[in-house]
Amino acid sequence: MLEIKELSKSFNRKTALDNVSFTVPEGQIFGLLGPNGAGKTTLIRIINRIIQQDQGNVFLNGKLLTEKHLQQIGYLPEERGLYRSMRVIDHLIFLGQLRNLSRSDARKNAQLWLDKWEIGDWANRQIESLSKGMAQKVQFIAAVLHDPDLIILDEPLSGFDPVNVGLILNALKTMKSEGRTIMLSTHNMKSVEDLCDRAALIYRSQKIAEDTIWNLREQQKAGEYSIRFKGNMIAFANALWTGFELVEKSEIGPERFIATVKMRGEKSINDLLEALMHQIHIEAVEERFPSMQDVFIQLVKGKEVSHEE
Amino acid sequence: MKNSWIIAKREFWERIGNRNFRWMLFLGPLTFLLLLLWLFKAGDEGKKHLKVLIADPVDLLEQKIVANEGKAVSYYFIGDYLEIEEFRDGDKYKEFDALIEVNEKVLMNKKVFVFHREQPSFDVKTQLKFQLERRVEEVLIESFTNLSVDVFRQIKQPLNVDFRNVYDPKNEASNTEGYVGLTFGLLILSFVFLFGMAILRSTAKEKSNRIVEVILASVQPKDLMLGKIIGIGLAALVQMAVWSLFIGVGLWGFRAFLFPDLFAPENWEGIQVSGEVQQQMLEETLRGRYNAFVELVYERIQFASMLGHTVLFFIASYLFYGAFFSSIGAMSGTESDGQQFVLPLLGLMGIAVYCGFMAIYLPESSLVAWAQFVPFTSPLVVLVKVAKGYPVGTYYYVILALIIQLLSAWVLLWVAGRIYKNGILRFGHQTKWKHWFQWVRN
Repeated sequence: MLEIKELSKSFNRKTALDNVSFTVPEGQIFGLLGPNGAGKTTLIRIINRIIQQDQGNVFLNGKLLTEKHLQQIGYLPEERGLYRSMRVIDHLIFLGQLRNLSRSDARKNAQLWLDKWEIGDWANRQIESLSKGMAQKVQFIAAVLHDPDLIILDEPLSGFDPVNVGLILNALKTMKSEGRTIMLSTHNMKSVEDLCDRAALIYRSQKIAEDTIWNLREQQKAGEYSIRFKGNMIAFANALWTGFELVEKSEIGPERFIATVKMRGEKSINDLLEALMHQIHIEAVEERFPSMQDVFIQLVKGKEVSHEE
Repeated sequence: MKNSWIIAKREFWERIGNRNFRWMLFLGPLTFLLLLLWLFKAGDEGKKHLKVLIADPVDLLEQKIVANEGKAVSYYFIGDYLEIEEFRDGDKYKEFDALIEVNEKVLMNKKVFVFHREQPSFDVKTQLKFQLERRVEEVLIESFTNLSVDVFRQIKQPLNVDFRNVYDPKNEASNTEGYVGLTFGLLILSFVFLFGMAILRSTAKEKSNRIVEVILASVQPKDLMLGKIIGIGLAALVQMAVWSLFIGVGLWGFRAFLFPDLFAPENWEGIQVSGEVQQQMLEETLRGRYNAFVELVYERIQFASMLGHTVLFFIASYLFYGAFFSSIGAMSGTESDGQQFVLPLLGLMGIAVYCGFMAIYLPESSLVAWAQFVPFTSPLVVLVKVAKGYPVGTYYYVILALIIQLLSAWVLLWVAGRIYKNGILRFGHQTKWKHWFQWVRN
């Protein structure tokens, strides 16, 4: 769907993007991750042709991205505004027209979205009279009003209350199920885990990782297992002996614990179960995967260490 | 260009929908008409009718001033000296508005005092002065010459040395017309400045509330800039058209209902003159008698031509200066930041006004010859020259000046487009002149 190829961009000798490449497959939700100032917004602006890259290309459906492709893209920037003196419906029609919709289609689509979110009676309200949350809903509708194939959202959840976060997440899931491609730039790692199929991590202008969410977490796992059991903790610790390491433990009831165990050497989960099963009553075992938050921190820290070296 | 038009429409309707704009559509011309009315009436302030007592102890004037007195001044005579204090305080003189003392010395020193209680209107003053002068002149002729009044007055006419331009031998153009041109030129600059500031503020506002990034995802920066300039410019043209219409109707109304007999000399009562000499004297006096401003507005301004040129040069100047205003708006880090950069523009406008004055007083100077083609100054200089009248065969100067200004506007819009592209997404920085040059190059 979207292919970013060797993109570079500098502002007055300061590099914002350095040879960044990745692919966003069609019909998936793609997370664009990275700390502040990494170059995510620059990248998004280049895709939206707001600024021009110094080097590299952007392809949409295999074709070099041109101005006419902008009609297929919906964009919700991180710092988004509205014309405060306009009515909600006029504002949406105006932005719809800029995205090549006819006036009547823009009005129809706007009303459809407003009704879908049960805010149809806001249509004639002045934007300055809306609360922050209400204004954000209007901004989101403006981004998807023209029925785009590719939707780029820069921090779409920032500032939303939990109810509205749910509303937006559901909307994104629905759009994905309709076959649309979504690129999501966010610091909300929970939403990346819940929503995204793939992600790329940008750090100091460069891409340092790109894969499916599952693979990214898999790559960063530490070989730890969480075990819930009934029995004696001393017996449990003795059973581990030298082949395993007790990382942490917590008592959840009388003689009931959850412990995290890390493998040592070539030991496997079968070896662990064999060592424990005669000492305690195992209730559940689960391999521990790092959260995307952990993945993010580990990748960034790892890059920082190599950068300092 | 389609997107520019959508943006232009939004800008246009935002202004038209603004309550202050709609109020100004009516308040502007109303204020202007009231000011005009005040100026029309300024020459006509004071007492409209004067009852004058002439103290003539030596019966110099033989108890007459003019054959038929008009409504404006009535003369009464007293054959004795009268002290000012007695006239001022005496009950029997209360009915008189003014006292004139006339004695034999008047014939030698040609000095007459008119002591009035209340300031007479300019109109009444001129009439009294004219009538008294004529009467004293008749006494002088009778006392010192054997000539007839007609012959004396013919001899008395001074040699009129009149400097005239070889290209304007009938002296159709004058400084007064030049000031009319300057007024229209200033109108252009005022509109350009007011609506140029609207471009600046609108650009800076879109930056500060961050809507600009949403817009730029669909529109090229130069299209956004052009749309903004066109939309605000259309609102300015609407305001100009509505103002012209209201002012035109107002002027017609003034003439139809407030001073219908303005230019009918037969209505100027009291002066019984005949013959060519008297007519010449009358015409000279007419200029002083009637409010010159009224005459200028109704008789000497070529409204159709001036309005046509004003609109054309407004469009060209607006595009030219508008490019500056929009680039300042795009450069600015905050909404108020850019306004300090307007000062140099004001300086340029000041130079334009200076050149406009030069075009009135030194129309043939080389400064004016060049300034009519310089885009900064041409709206003022050309409008002054149009009002004064371009010499036959040189009207192509106007067309040339307009073309130069439109071409300059096109170049500047291109430059402003580059600044717009580079500056519109920079927020919160301190605006510096170096950005202007840096962003033009990038």
